[in-house]
Amino acid sequence: MGRPGRLRVAFVGKGGAGKSAIAGTFARLLAREGHEVLAIDSDPMPGLAFSLGVAQSDAGIPDDAVVERVEGEEGPRFRLRPDLDASAAVEAYANVGPDGVRFLQFGKLTGHVAQLMRSQHAFRQIVEELPDDRWSVVGDLPGGTRQPFFGWADFAEVVLVVAEPTAKSWLSAKRLTRLAREDGTAANLLLVVNKAREAGDARLVAEMTGLTVAAVVPWDEDLAEAERRGRPPIDDAPNSGAVRAVASLVADLTGGT
Amino acid sequence: MRIAVVGKGGSGKTTTSAVVARVLGRRGLSVVALDCDSNPNLGISLGVGDQETERLVAMRQALDEGDEEHAPEWDELIDRFGSDAPDGVRLAVVSRIENPDPGCPCCGLSPEQLLSSADFGDAIVLADLEAGIGTLTRLQDATIDAVLIVVEPTPKSIEVGSRAYGLVRDKAVGRVVVVANRIRNDEDLDRVRQAFPDAEIVAVPDDPAIVAADRSGVAALDRTADAPAVLALIGVAERLLPVAS
Ligand SMILES: Nc1ncnc2c1ncn2[C@@H]1O[C@H](COP(=O)(O)OP(=O)(O)OP(=O)(O)O)[C@@H](O)[C@H]1O
Ligand SMILES: Nc1ncnc2c1ncn2[C@@H]1O[C@H](COP(=O)(O)OP(=O)(O)OP(=O)(O)O)[C@@H](O)[C@H]1O
Ligand SMILES: [Mg+2]
Ligand SMILES: [Mg+2]
Repeated sequence: MGRPGRLRVAFVGKGGAGKSAIAGTFARLLAREGHEVLAIDSDPMPGLAFSLGVAQSDAGIPDDAVVERVEGEEGPRFRLRPDLDASAAVEAYANVGPDGVRFLQFGKLTGHVAQLMRSQHAFRQIVEELPDDRWSVVGDLPGGTRQPFFGWADFAEVVLVVAEPTAKSWLSAKRLTRLAREDGTAANLLLVVNKAREAGDARLVAEMTGLTVAAVVPWDEDLAEAERRGRPPIDDAPNSGAVRAVASLVADLTGGT
Repeated sequence: MRIAVVGKGGSGKTTTSAVVARVLGRRGLSVVALDCDSNPNLGISLGVGDQETERLVAMRQALDEGDEEHAPEWDELIDRFGSDAPDGVRLAVVSRIENPDPGCPCCGLSPEQLLSSADFGDAIVLADLEAGIGTLTRLQDATIDAVLIVVEPTPKSIEVGSRAYGLVRDKAVGRVVVVANRIRNDEDLDRVRQAFPDAEIVAVPDDPAIVAADRSGVAALDRTADAPAVLALIGVAERLLPVAS
């Protein structure tokens, strides 16, 4: 049986736009299509684990898996221990979630900034070096404009900018788009309009951001309720309009197979 | 008097900051609203409009690129990187830039350093912080007088709020108020109460008027001053008045 073509996407957008809710659902649906999916949460604040349905952990990449780079060697200050390559690190440290999705949390901010730094470098190395003939990657990036394009989104060929039909949300999307362009990101930037309530919402956000709409996810009470209970939308609200909209996004990006 | 507003992304920090700042301004207090977010949106919620909000973002960007003079003094900072908002509130954008001049008040000080070192005179400073708890973890003890922790009744949001609550309790902050935002029913409020059994909690209802104001990019206080969520947020400001004056 042929393996479906891999896909690497990153979700960005204003705080609370719905990146984690959509990314978690997207990852699960992609896995059901037969992809081997690594879902990564690069936000030190919790989010993706809840929407994906994996046990959340503060662990991230353990300290002993990360070493300081030897003097003279090119690259950032920390790296994975030399006997660990990206695939081995995923095998060792990514949790296995429902539908076989692997989940990697880059470390929670508990006050130990130094530890977080180490984890962050290792994390970045993993997404850069992960063999791309095997894994599909779904990245949930931190909200706002501070981090996404400083290397975090390099692994992605499609960056999905999530925006609500509100001024703060589309301004944030516009700033992200500008940053991406300035950064020379090769990725294709597409718009996911979330929490759409009115007929004109998608067109409005598309106009305000200048981005092409890849999906319109409706405001959905059932999804909101699932999230309030701390349950993955795909398990608690599988037939909701929001989950169906994410399913058609997955279908579109995987070529409808 | 220094007030910080914290919480998960999208929990309603900016919405809360804007109403509280303007209500304190209406009481005749001198208020500086500091937008500490690297994705600054406070201008929109205060009601200065999207163009003025974007102008302030462009100022920060020009500073970053070396095209804008630095502001060596605090007063000059709020003068040059700020804007007048309604009700006498002065908005200033102090978000972090990529190429700061170390120690310079307008760019080389992180929000937490600014909060602990700048001389605010008798102004009330209300800081709308970046999502998460990063700034709080680095904040010096006793440099703020009140913290508003904004949480939605979801485990994600409560998780961030609880971490923030733990930190502020350790840091000798005067007053801590948990703003339970987007509450639809008793069950929602109970979720927040259970997570913060000892805290002072103010419930703010889930209110389409907030979304409607945000869609048009105007202040909820200007569009629907009598909406239930706006009234509840005015109540939050009033709770702070005894601390503030
Ligand atoms: N289509 C939708 N309909 C209703 N509610 C939604 C929808 N999408 C997301 N939400 C709700 O919005 C809130 C924020 O969602 P989520 O945590 O996924 O956002 P985020 O962009 O990941 O936030 P952060 O910036 O903090 O990471 C959650 O309570 C979620 O349940
Ligand atoms: N009480 C409420 N009822 C309904 N919607 C609300 C309420 N409070 C906030 N919202 C909605 O939540 C969205 C996020 O609010 P806001 O921008 O204030 O959050 P924030 O915490 O400042 O986000 P960020 O992390 O991006 O800074 C707004 O677009 C608004 O529509
Ligand atoms: Mg998230
Ligand atoms: Mg905000």
